[in-house]
Amino acid sequence: MDHSDLHERQRQAILDGETELAVELAQEAIDIGSDLGDCVDHGFARGIREVGRLWEKGEYFLPELVQGADAMRAAMAVLRPEFLKDRNDTREEHKVVLGTAAGDIHDIGKALVGTILEANGFVVVDLGKDVANETFVEAVVSEAPTVLGMSALLTTTMPRHGEVIELLKERGLRDQVKVIVGGAPLTRAFADGIGADGYAANAMEALSVVRKLVGPGA
Amino acid sequence: MSSGIVELLESRTVLLDGGMGSSLILEGLADGGCTELWNLEHPERVRAVHEDFLRAGSDVVQTNSFGGNALALARHGVENGVVALNVAAARIAREATLAVGHGLVAGNIGPSGLFRPPVGTATAEQLEGAFTVQARALAEGGVDYFSLETFSDLEEARIAIVAIRAVSQLPITACLTFDRKPRGFFSLMGDTPAKAFAGLSAVGACAVGANCSIGSEDMLAGVAEMLVAAPVPLIVKPNAGLPAIENGRPVYRQEAREFADHVGAMARQGAAAVGGCCGSNHAFIAALRARLDREQ
Repeated sequence: MDHSDLHERQRQAILDGETELAVELAQEAIDIGSDLGDCVDHGFARGIREVGRLWEKGEYFLPELVQGADAMRAAMAVLRPEFLKDRNDTREEHKVVLGTAAGDIHDIGKALVGTILEANGFVVVDLGKDVANETFVEAVVSEAPTVLGMSALLTTTMPRHGEVIELLKERGLRDQVKVIVGGAPLTRAFADGIGADGYAANAMEALSVVRKLVGPGA
Repeated sequence: MSSGIVELLESRTVLLDGGMGSSLILEGLADGGCTELWNLEHPERVRAVHEDFLRAGSDVVQTNSFGGNALALARHGVENGVVALNVAAARIAREATLAVGHGLVAGNIGPSGLFRPPVGTATAEQLEGAFTVQARALAEGGVDYFSLETFSDLEEARIAIVAIRAVSQLPITACLTFDRKPRGFFSLMGDTPAKAFAGLSAVGACAVGANCSIGSEDMLAGVAEMLVAAPVPLIVKPNAGLPAIENGRPVYRQEAREFADHVGAMARQGAAAVGGCCGSNHAFIAALRARLDREQ
């Protein structure tokens, strides 16, 4: 059955940052037995990708970005239990730990990365902003994530990323986790220089980088 | 003080100072360290930065109190130091002006670092309270006027102005920080210079403007739009280009001469007060002073 009208309303709800409507449309999808994966791919996630593009183009600003991300998160919270019910247990669930570097209180872009990863089936543990180097290392131990993602928006805080990688090496944990970094002042050269496994310039790129790092099947 | 910033803005182009934070990093401030703590721990180094700016030709120095409200200081666990740090900031700047023999002292106030809904959960009362305490301490320390800078939320800046006005009658200037987007200049919240400047002057800012975020080249591209938008004198304080990273530390590569070319052109077009933000040290201010003196 064609649910393109539902997908369109779902996309629009995210684009408009309508959290309550997004929740209703997620529930509607469940109630009518719509394919939930399609609802994410063709509806909600398309909306959040468009929000990201509009932000980059300077058409959307922080309030619209945050409201879009909130609506997306709310819709995913409704869908997630259904996904878990239907999940084919042969598929491994990958966990990603995210956080912004110590001394840096910017977490909009990082939150968007988290939302997009969640929307695409990853389990995201967001440590928040101004995360101490030691806290990142502890989370690698306690959460055992497949990927650790660190963000920085300040030139003065991006060196923390390299320090965390060094700490992971010292503790013998470096081989247990893939490390990706991103944030406005970062470059691929910087990421290579500190020995990160991946670099993404924006949230959509972060998704494809994470997918590549965790290998096939994700 | 009767002959203050308002009179100065009416008489000639006012040369403000450069970037305090980036100057203190050159003096040895640790990355991510609490800039305001230096008012108590290394007052001589803060004063030296002020004196360098004044000797380079600044008409005004801004107190080292950008992150000196309780909400911002809480991130360093020193929110109880608001009064001491701000009083010290004002006194250090005053000592510098007395030592060099000229200069007004602007009590610098930056944003809280928190966001109001929908982005965050900060309340107007919370913001108002933080700015009230800081403004009172800066006034007690003896500033000549208040200078709000780098606000990304127009409403937060308006709350700050109203809070200051409730405890002091000193003049207030206010700058938002704008990014250059494909469609023009916007704050992080999407406010245009026209909306921001009208909103700031409506609650009592005697001069309004733009600082930080963008380098002098981008700022120059926006100055015509900003001049039209400003109902009161315009302030512009761009960064010294964009930082590059060398050995893990930010380095600003723009030459002082190019910076002075751009900012001098903004003054020529009608900006009433000019200066620099991140990366602009006293050499940039000296180059700008020479440019302004040649043209006035």
